[in-house]
Amino acid sequence: MNRLGTPASVPASVPASVPAPAGERYLAEVTARLPGPASAHSGIVAELRCGLLDATDSHRSAGLAPAQAAEAAIREFGDPGQVADGFRAEIAARHARRVAVILLATGPLVGLLWIGTAAASHLALGLASAWPWTSLPAGLAAGILLVAVAAALTAWAALFGIAMTGRLTRWLPARPRRAPTAAAVAGFGAVGADALGLALLAAEIAAAPGKLSPVLAAAAAAASVARLLLARRAAYRCLALRASLA
Amino acid sequence: MRAEALKGHLDGILLAVLEPGPGHGYAIMEALRVRSGGQVDLPTGTVYPALHRLERAGLVQASWSEAGGRRRRVYELTPAGRRALDTERTTWQDFSAAVSALLHPAPAAVTSP
Repeated sequence: MNRLGTPASVPASVPASVPAPAGERYLAEVTARLPGPASAHSGIVAELRCGLLDATDSHRSAGLAPAQAAEAAIREFGDPGQVADGFRAEIAARHARRVAVILLATGPLVGLLWIGTAAASHLALGLASAWPWTSLPAGLAAGILLVAVAAALTAWAALFGIAMTGRLTRWLPARPRRAPTAAAVAGFGAVGADALGLALLAAEIAAAPGKLSPVLAAAAAAASVARLLLARRAAYRCLALRASLA
Repeated sequence: MRAEALKGHLDGILLAVLEPGPGHGYAIMEALRVRSGGQVDLPTGTVYPALHRLERAGLVQASWSEAGGRRRRVYELTPAGRRALDTERTTWQDFSAAVSALLHPAPAAVTSP
């Protein structure tokens, strides 16, 4: 229902369920400045719409005509750009936190699959007896070391991102770009760890075919490919969100 | 009072407004205006992202509730939010006491050798 078309004699106590077109235009201006599709922000829009209606009611109770009340509500809500700025920082922080949590949770699972693959193929025994790895092929030793470095980087960046976006939020200076940066670093770290793991697997298969447990190796490779693709996508999205912050 | 003047204190103020009981965004804004005697007048739209940030920090929890034909997001303090409010109060008291002492020095307090 169009509030502009509502006769002024309607008592102010009758709440509107749809704000005036000006209100919808205002909401559209806010959502146009938020990242991703409009459907991703239905909760924010529903909450703001309800707030606009409440504000309109309040101005009508104060004696304004419906159209003037709707305009006053929009003025009261402030510059749509400023409102969107606040939500963009929040959307980036939440996305960064989700990415960091998922990376931190899936890392050990993928890692265990690789360790299982190595153990089942007696590679672990070979590694243990070859300690301190001077007798290992240099490429394999360096590869394992690099995977460990990438995994550690991922874990630290993810932990930092989680810490930044949780309880500590209150105590930290408002640096909205930090969390998406940390999550992007964690994402690219995971991409690196998984890509290196897959490269080592390919090298092992080429060097000693038949030595690896096919089921476990396939499971580890599939898990790494899935994680690599998801981490890469999440990392780029974090960078995009970061770039959208003032 | 504009948003810049409140910077750093908005979180505590929002928590204080929610202390007596849960409230939705617009009710929080009106309480803010009433309780400050009209002195605090932020753009209402900016209160919503601030509430979402408090929710992410675990200081408030939000839930949708339907009343009067409208679905509202209602915010409520968590135990961590109550503790944060206590801390905020102590910090503010210390800060305002220190600034007051500096802005209104007792005439005898400054002595020249």
